[in-house]
Amino acid sequence: MASAIKAEGIYKSFYSGWLKRREKQVLKGIHLEVERGEIFGILGPNGAGKTTLLSILSTLLLPDQGRIEILGMDPRKEAHQIREKVNLSSGNANFLWSMTVEENLHFYGMLYGLAGHRRKKKVEELISLLGLEEHRGVSFDRLSTGMKQRLALAKSLLNEPSVLFLDEPTVGLDPSVSVWIRQQIQMIQKEKGMTILLTTHNMREAEFLCHRIAFLKEGKILTVGDSDSLKKMIRMGDMIKIEFEGKLFEDELGRMEGVINYSITDGLCEMIVDEGERRLGPLITKLSQDGVQIKKVTLGQTDLEEVFLEFAKSSDSDTGLYL
Amino acid sequence: MTKRNIFSLFEILFWPVVGFFSVGLLTTFLELDPNRTGFILIGIISMSAIQVCQIDVAEALLYDLWAKSMKHTFIAPIHPYQLLLGSWLIGVIRSLVVFLLLSLFSLFVFDFDFLRPGLLPISLFLLGLFFTSAFVGMTVCILVLLFGYKAEVAAWSLSSLMALVCGIYYPISILPTPLPEIARWIPLTHFLAYFRSFYGFEEGFRNLLQWGFGLTGFYLTLEVALFRMVLHRAKRTGMILKLSE
Repeated sequence: MASAIKAEGIYKSFYSGWLKRREKQVLKGIHLEVERGEIFGILGPNGAGKTTLLSILSTLLLPDQGRIEILGMDPRKEAHQIREKVNLSSGNANFLWSMTVEENLHFYGMLYGLAGHRRKKKVEELISLLGLEEHRGVSFDRLSTGMKQRLALAKSLLNEPSVLFLDEPTVGLDPSVSVWIRQQIQMIQKEKGMTILLTTHNMREAEFLCHRIAFLKEGKILTVGDSDSLKKMIRMGDMIKIEFEGKLFEDELGRMEGVINYSITDGLCEMIVDEGERRLGPLITKLSQDGVQIKKVTLGQTDLEEVFLEFAKSSDSDTGLYL
Repeated sequence: MTKRNIFSLFEILFWPVVGFFSVGLLTTFLELDPNRTGFILIGIISMSAIQVCQIDVAEALLYDLWAKSMKHTFIAPIHPYQLLLGSWLIGVIRSLVVFLLLSLFSLFVFDFDFLRPGLLPISLFLLGLFFTSAFVGMTVCILVLLFGYKAEVAAWSLSSLMALVCGIYYPISILPTPLPEIARWIPLTHFLAYFRSFYGFEEGFRNLLQWGFGLTGFYLTLEVALFRMVLHRAKRTGMILKLSE
């Protein structure tokens, strides 16, 4: 499948100070390839360089070094053509304050070359898609953060982009609104088949939305992969907790297939296994056969946050895997 | 919308009308002769027309600066010059409204006929004012991309500075050196001298229109190149992003 976004060896530094110039290296040789129709997440803590990378890819910022291709085009030579096919929505949405939702969409619609009936139809479609009907006449400065975010998303769909950049799309939103926004993003992507590159520091968001995820830390991509393969890669395992009554045969438990580690204390057995869902059945059968009375079973799967932290810990060593 | 348009109209007309009547009534109080009154009224009306038009050009970026929405404009597939040209055309329309209104006030309140030089000289004079406005407005945009929020003060101060040097209320011959020399390199000086020449005022310059339009063309060409450079710099330094946060 052809790449929607291709970046090779991207470096970017910012400078501050007049007399004593201070250099801050933000991106340190980023390699990235995003396939068409993919939702690709860049996950990293604040200050990792996520927004800088996104801004470079969306032609808002020039890299110091490196080669970029967006939909097969070179941003240095074909920035205008690229802008016709991409759009951006930021978490901290800012639009012209005094203009209403509808006016803002019309204004940006004009910048995207929409005119007359076509623009009106598009604005109506987006107002309806993002549930902005009741707020269409409300000025931007009177909108709630959630509504501002919906407007940002609506604006980013004005030109039906082939590549959509989402910079922290749910930052600052309450959980219910965040879930709604994520669902909309997923639905829109499925419907339009567009490529989405999103940055986030929310692990759940990345896991829910993204086909593949890149871990970015201190300007370097630590690894890339889908959430399952990332979890497997780190081999952290899943946690099975069993509350029981009776006697457990510890040695036999430790020899069972897939068991990485275990501990037993006061009627509670905690086991780390390679794949929780696969190992749970045989384990329960074995315990039952041994006459152990099982009171409660909990299966806790490794979440992406633990994987990221594990990668971040070992980022100085050579764990820069690329799947 | 209608309510806000009334406010916008009020905003456009308020300062030019207040400024015009303040200066106009001052000339009455000082009992100036009709020629000198005309000299000053040409100045105040020209200045008002320029201020209205140049602020529209500057607002192509200023509104984005205030709303912190600059990145949305620069990610859109629109050439910056299309944005500036569009803003300038809106400015020209608003400025024309202000000019016509103040000309009518001038005729009926102060008995000074702005249409006396004829349609062609007025058109050329207005064109000169509009180009001067584009030049001032673009300077503001360049400064905004270079210095960000610190530069917004330029939107108001540049035209006032021009009023001081270009002979809005007085002939430039009364300025201390080297200001008259500096004034010669500002197109507005030549456009004002051209229009006032129809009322018998001579600044001692020649080829006024050639100088006026020549300088305007030179400065606008220079600004287009400068704008390209500062936009490139803003994309390198991240200024566009800083102004969107």
